[in-house]
Amino acid sequence: MMALLEMRHIDKLFFGRYANRDVSLQVQKGEIHALLGENGAGKTTLMNILYGIYRRDGGEIFWRGEAADFLSPKDAIEKNIGMVHQHFMLVPTLTVAENITLGLREKGYPFTDRAALSARVAAISEKYGLLVEPGALISSLSVGERQRVEIIKLLYRGAELLILDEPTAVLTPGETAGFFNVLKRLRADGCSVIIITHRIPEVMEIADRVTVLRDTRCVFSAPIAELDEIKLSEHMIGRELAPPTRGKATAAGGEGLVLAGIGLQENGIQRLRDVTFSARPGEILGIAGVDGNGQKALAETIMGIRRPTAGEISLGGRSLAGLSVAARKALGMAYISDDRHEDGLVLDMDLAENLLLKFNRDKRYASRGLIDQKRVLQKLREAVGEYDIRAPSLRVPIRYLSGGNQQKLILARELSDHPQVIVAFQPTRGLDIGASEFIRQQLLAHREMGARVLLISADLEEIRALSDRIAVIHKGCIMGIRDNSDDLDMTEIGLMMAGNPAGEVRAG
Amino acid sequence: MSKQFRAAISYAAIAVCSLLLAILLILLVGCDVGKAFYGFFNGILGSSYSVAEVFVKAAPLILAGLGVAVAFKSGFTNIGAEGQLYMGAVAFTATYVLCPGLPKAALLALGILAGFLAGGVWALIPGALKARFGISEVINTIMLNYIALGIVGILLQTALKDRAQYFPVSPTLDDGLGFSRLLKGTRLHSGILIALVCAVIVYFFIFKTSMGFRLRAVGMNPRACKCMGISVSAGLIVSSLLSGGLAGIAGVGEIAGLHHRLIGGISPSYGYLAIIVALLGGNHPLGVVIAATGIAALQVGALAMQRAANVPSAIASIIMGAVVLLILARKTLFKRLLREED
Repeated sequence: MMALLEMRHIDKLFFGRYANRDVSLQVQKGEIHALLGENGAGKTTLMNILYGIYRRDGGEIFWRGEAADFLSPKDAIEKNIGMVHQHFMLVPTLTVAENITLGLREKGYPFTDRAALSARVAAISEKYGLLVEPGALISSLSVGERQRVEIIKLLYRGAELLILDEPTAVLTPGETAGFFNVLKRLRADGCSVIIITHRIPEVMEIADRVTVLRDTRCVFSAPIAELDEIKLSEHMIGRELAPPTRGKATAAGGEGLVLAGIGLQENGIQRLRDVTFSARPGEILGIAGVDGNGQKALAETIMGIRRPTAGEISLGGRSLAGLSVAARKALGMAYISDDRHEDGLVLDMDLAENLLLKFNRDKRYASRGLIDQKRVLQKLREAVGEYDIRAPSLRVPIRYLSGGNQQKLILARELSDHPQVIVAFQPTRGLDIGASEFIRQQLLAHREMGARVLLISADLEEIRALSDRIAVIHKGCIMGIRDNSDDLDMTEIGLMMAGNPAGEVRAG
Repeated sequence: MSKQFRAAISYAAIAVCSLLLAILLILLVGCDVGKAFYGFFNGILGSSYSVAEVFVKAAPLILAGLGVAVAFKSGFTNIGAEGQLYMGAVAFTATYVLCPGLPKAALLALGILAGFLAGGVWALIPGALKARFGISEVINTIMLNYIALGIVGILLQTALKDRAQYFPVSPTLDDGLGFSRLLKGTRLHSGILIALVCAVIVYFFIFKTSMGFRLRAVGMNPRACKCMGISVSAGLIVSSLLSGGLAGIAGVGEIAGLHHRLIGGISPSYGYLAIIVALLGGNHPLGVVIAATGIAALQVGALAMQRAANVPSAIASIIMGAVVLLILARKTLFKRLLREED
């Protein structure tokens, strides 16, 4: 049988380095095909080549058996190929239906029959179980709903092959299950799906066939039925995986990071209410909670990016009230944000300059107002070596590094000079197994060196693996704090995450 | 084909397009193309006077262009170089009017400082408004241009008016107190040297100092700066002050080097051309120097063309507009040629 899509021996170079090397991929009609690999393995690059965003340097593409060469996404969409990027491309101030039909000239343009369009959108949404309200504004939708809009947008344009880049990275477990049902319906309807991912359990659950990329090359392709998770993970990272071990408690005496009755009110919205806890030296305090329950406000209030409207934060017995972000950083407070592109990096600056974001007033790297390029470069080389940061060159804008390597640079920057406090907010979000493992080990290492680590994460597995104690946040309130022992009552944690204070759970 | 080569081809194509457009326009107004082009190039390169004239015009363009570039680097959209230039000119005039008898060196040092501060404060007003209240600087800088012109008009009727004159002009700067003439028989003055020195200083500041680094970071991602403890407000304030100050020095040069007195129309829109200079120069000091010299040559040549072949010099403005459009649209126009994504 002729394959729907065939990519043969694709090569792609960036700055003289391979991003794809001799990669081949075959997708059949009505197949869910997983493209598995660590970040930086070249998955997204390969799909961007298919979608006409990049141009290949070698190899051939066949679409429905004919040689194809898409010069732009527009070309690809015309040939019924659609892609949902990791960062959604929607206009927040327009409605769902308007976003879906954006750029299309419908019958009657410019006097388009909006009601009829909305009906068509509703029909597609019904058919595949992609529930969204056509008249709702994008800005009012959750991330999961926005993803559905992106998928409907492609189906509306007649896509027969959907490329989904890390679709589950932004979904809760419940949403993921619903999303997989949608994929199954699409498959039943004859659509093909390429799903880019680094999550092996998902591949096992949903895919028919998997192609594994590692280090720019295609290492493996087989039907799922012949595989198991362990085999797959070995193909993916090229070795066996060592899960991080926490070791025995290292919490020492001494003053920790103490939050007493912290409240934060912004524009009439109570973001945080009476948050009280302390993180001791040598301890990882996990803050669990469903995304969007005040975690960002908490992290930024501790770092001084926002000012609390009630309560006090102290470090080592010293009040932090009135101290600027820079002053707190100088006290050894490190911040790993959940949004590295917006908060952590200047994407158009190179690696050295992104290091300088922290050190630009540091006497070691800038004396008398002049930057000491030599020392900065030396520091960068050390960081690149120590953290195994892979970059085409040290002078490229950091935009061109993979997410994992970007995060490693942030880590190298924030964790240098033995921080006293580490606020790690979703530090492994969107990263592959290898990079996540490395980052977790770093946090554990700093725990042993006596740092007070605050691990804020929606990933309960991660919290459980690393934390000494677990606090649960819900709507800006701490619902309770528990020791993370083997007999931790996970039902109770779950109930606290849903908004039940710790005491009441016990009583009930 | 290397990337640089492809880029070079695209620029060459833009040059050819502009040339064709120029020929078309000259034919359209019914003039002799050969004569017009001879006039144009002869007007630029024909004599030491004409070459000098290019640099006379380039000096204020470089200074104001540097100012705009510094502002753009930090995300401050300064459209107000024109007003800042006039405020610099006013400050220098006021200096020599109010402090007669100062020796040349003292007068020039004091005058340049006053011009820098006057232009700087003029940009600092919208800068501080943006830093403190988040008010758009685009409107404010434009509005302050009109206010600056109004102030010049009022001062020329009152405090700075030369009582001996009927027309609204300021007293004339005494002979030998202004910028030195560099070439006998031309109007070239040491303003061009000051401009070049400023270009070097700005380059050094932007790329070598930690303050310059912070300015660039603020321009590229203010949110990350906030999270890293780099003050966005401080960046805006420093860059607006420096930006306006450079335009102010351009104004000083026009009085001290060229006109030797304040009159209403010292700037043929140098402040607005400076925006184009910064844009074409890629907000880089070296690029600014090149772009400013190019635009100055275009203007000088166009005037000569008008004299030689009776071609309206407005054609130069049309060409300049077209070149800016073509350069801004370059990546789209030459998509296939430049397809190698960066």
